[in-house]
Amino acid sequence: MKAEYINAFYLATQDVFRLMLDLETTRLGMRVTEELVPFREANVVIGVTGDLSGSLLYSFSKQMALEMVRIMSGMEMKELDAFVTSAMGELANIISGNAMTRLFDSNYRCEIVPPQIMIGGGQALSMATPQAIVLQLGTSIGSFEVSVSLKTR
Amino acid sequence: MMWKEKYRVGADLIDTQHKELFHRVSNFIQTVQSPQPWEAKVEKVKETMAFMQDYVVVHFNDEERFQEKIGYPELERHRDIHARFREGVQGYVDRAAKEGFTEELIQEFGGKLMAWLIMHVAAEDQKIGAFLRSQGRQP
Repeated sequence: MKAEYINAFYLATQDVFRLMLDLETTRLGMRVTEELVPFREANVVIGVTGDLSGSLLYSFSKQMALEMVRIMSGMEMKELDAFVTSAMGELANIISGNAMTRLFDSNYRCEIVPPQIMIGGGQALSMATPQAIVLQLGTSIGSFEVSVSLKTR
Repeated sequence: MMWKEKYRVGADLIDTQHKELFHRVSNFIQTVQSPQPWEAKVEKVKETMAFMQDYVVVHFNDEERFQEKIGYPELERHRDIHARFREGVQGYVDRAAKEGFTEELIQEFGGKLMAWLIMHVAAEDQKIGAFLRSQGRQP
């Protein structure tokens, strides 16, 4: 997997967080993992097909997910209910769509499949690549991870 | 959920309709997430969904007419985005008719609708404002 894909995901996340949540994101680090494991309580998995195929995993703490939905709705959220997880899924969908547009500009034509929500840490997901790249990002309301496991056709 | 000054496009009709959409979606979410028993609020939820379904169509039609009038270069792309938004809303209306207005389904719809609306107004429609400014048609 080429590291050049990663910047598209960083820029897309930064863009959507700024537009929809009025939050700035900073890059905390990047690591390589051999397992795609939902590490936090609120996880969104999005499949990618096309010139690049595989999976994306967005992992947020419960507290951060509730705060993100509070920012959008203006209402206090207490539980990771269907309203909260649906909004989080859509947010990850919008970020991924934005990243696909950026990849298209680099001549990769890809599409995403609808998000799947996973609550609570769980079993490792199947990976398209031997290793995934985990992008660690920080905001004023907490940090989160975007993991990318994509292979070229 | 509040309309913000940064969402202003600079065309009165569109800005007024966006404010109304934010107001309605916000009320809808408050109803869906209020601690009352689901049976006590399901009628209000149905009414609001019917209103949203109609109002989204009215707004998108008005916005597309406005874009035609100003010669907006991204009209076709914007029409596609509107079509997908309408399909998304219709998809939940159809599911509710088939599966029933369950709390979980309507919560799911509320979460998506909120994210779609913010993204649409905060990102896509801002391009209309930028175009108007580039044409010197607004301060």
